Amino acid sequence: MNARNPSLYKKESGIALEANSLVKRYNKSSRPALNDFDLQVNKGEFFGLLGTNGAGKTTAVSVFSGFFPPDSGTVSIMGMDFRRQAHKIRQIIGVVPQEIALYDKLSARENLSFFGRLYGFGGKLLEARIDLCLQFAGLTDQATRLVSAYSGGMKRRLNLATGLLHAPQILFLDEPTVGIDTQSRHLIHKQLTALNLAGITILYTTHYMEEAQELCSRIGIIDGGKIILQGKPNRLLQQSGSRNLEELFLDLTGKQLRDT
Amino acid sequence: MRKIITTAGKELLLLKRDRTGLLVLFLMPAILVIVITLVQENVMELTGQKNTRLLFLDLDEGGLGNSLRGRLSDNNFAIVVWDKRQKNSDALQAAVAAGDYQVGVVIPEKSSHKLQQRTEGMLEESKADDMKNAPGKIPVDVFFDPGIMPGLRSGLTAQLQMALETIAMEAKITVLERKVTEIVGQFGLARDAGPLPTAGLAALFGRQLFALQDGGDSARAGTTPPYNPVQQNVPAWALFGMFFTAIPIAGAILQERRSGIWIRLASLPVSHLLLFAGKVVAYMGVCLCQFLLIGLIGVFLFPYIGLPAFVVAGHPLAVLLTVLFSSLAACGFGIVLGMACKTYEQASTLGSTVVVASAAIGGIMVPVYAMPQTMQQISIISPLNWGLTAFQDLLVRGYGGAAIVDDLGRMTLFFLLCILFAWKLARTR
Repeated sequence: MNARNPSLYKKESGIALEANSLVKRYNKSSRPALNDFDLQVNKGEFFGLLGTNGAGKTTAVSVFSGFFPPDSGTVSIMGMDFRRQAHKIRQIIGVVPQEIALYDKLSARENLSFFGRLYGFGGKLLEARIDLCLQFAGLTDQATRLVSAYSGGMKRRLNLATGLLHAPQILFLDEPTVGIDTQSRHLIHKQLTALNLAGITILYTTHYMEEAQELCSRIGIIDGGKIILQGKPNRLLQQSGSRNLEELFLDLTGKQLRDT
Repeated sequence: MRKIITTAGKELLLLKRDRTGLLVLFLMPAILVIVITLVQENVMELTGQKNTRLLFLDLDEGGLGNSLRGRLSDNNFAIVVWDKRQKNSDALQAAVAAGDYQVGVVIPEKSSHKLQQRTEGMLEESKADDMKNAPGKIPVDVFFDPGIMPGLRSGLTAQLQMALETIAMEAKITVLERKVTEIVGQFGLARDAGPLPTAGLAALFGRQLFALQDGGDSARAGTTPPYNPVQQNVPAWALFGMFFTAIPIAGAILQERRSGIWIRLASLPVSHLLLFAGKVVAYMGVCLCQFLLIGLIGVFLFPYIGLPAFVVAGHPLAVLLTVLFSSLAACGFGIVLGMACKTYEQASTLGSTVVVASAAIGGIMVPVYAMPQTMQQISIISPLNWGLTAFQDLLVRGYGGAAIVDDLGRMTLFFLLCILFAWKLARTR
């Protein structure tokens, strides 16, 4: 969307997201999902958060998007503290959850219209944004079909486009390409790269190492709720002597199954 | 406000596209109100809360039958008289046993003649030394529908016995009056010179000295129709249906929670309370439509299937307020159910169990006054009881809006507590 309309964004420098000493437990008795988690993402960065199942990626995104507060630690987004300026932060973040966050019994246009109105848009501005999102997702011709009739790839593209409806400054993507065909994945990669080039800061969680290597300007590897390594992919590979990110990842996290 | 309307509009659109859900929401209470009202109409007949259908066969065709019919027709009996030339006692017994009539009365042949004989000979018998040789009683045959309640049977027996004794008393006094006149005449006295009036003695003794005042049902005269199952069941089953909307509300919330929608909604610059408010507005509209549908069934369909029509007498605005506050309580319950449960299966099982149990203890299925003392005390914790009490105050007892303020207050408090609890859960889940 913004690749076609880059004037919505301008390149800025500074810190987009800063998390300090985050701890989050789902149950008091369980091990922490986030354990002294620190992260800093700069404005305009495409940051990849890599980890096994249960490593804490989704918990981190949930805390950053204000879904629930951490047990301890602080989060600030674009210099604003979630505890005091949650409403303002919610206007500048876009969230694309891992699960499809759309109403099956509504059409693409109806879904976009609903979420757009909750952002406070209306009238022609809302219609223009909906049209842009549909164009971004490649669903202009399918806008009035119910989402339940869409393929997995179409749902994923619309899921992503909905997170961009309000032109956010920072976008949290939680494994947005899980279970979709190569064409849809390719389109999503292309659009995300364009969005990032247009100035959107992206935090992207994924299992796919080649995806992270292709898209991300910087990555962080999370294990046991803690960032254990972060840096630019090429530099990390040089430093470790690994041939690719997958090898590096396995070296760091081990080859044992991580069933949680 | 715009955002609440947006959320409410989305809920209604989703509901419109869920045809099964719509059927459950509207068809279920509609069927229940028709079936239960028809069933209770029959129960009222069996318990004597309606006119008792009495089949009368007068084989005697003297004055006794006419007198008895005259007395019974003053006492809430719908009397059907059979012609002795076409029917007999066995046919009457069969008709009553089949449940077509609740009671059957057969006046045997020559009963009036026997009554006259017995009363004429009454004074002679009193002079006899041995009263044990007095002639036997005059039989009048009575048959009861085996399905009627024992209490009703006793009541009917007492009414028949009373009517017959009154007729007998009148006959005795008439004989006595004639005898007194004769005696006064034998002594050559003027008719009005004796210690007793010689004329009008029967009327004098027949005059009633007590008047049992039937104060009706304490409803304000002229403001409500007479109590019947329709006035009870239409609001009761509408309430039941309204509280069942808790399950689709919980389902809608769980669908959001189980998918990524809840995370997306949490990331929007809107509070959970606003999202709850949208659901409340949408489903309050649904509840209102449910009540209207069931009310219209009561007003227009019931008379066609032999039931009295539903009447909203007195205070339509107060009735509307009761509908709105009841639906508020139902929506609150649905929201907390959706937030507290983890799956739709949990919510539907727990929700339907709670609603059915609340309906049972709240007086929807069996009136509260018919419950054991302990259950009557427990019934006050049921939100359905608060709604039903408010409806009964308005529709059955004929009270005004002031009488329902406490019930509306309880429902508001219940709604606020539900929302508060749901909001607390939303912040942690």
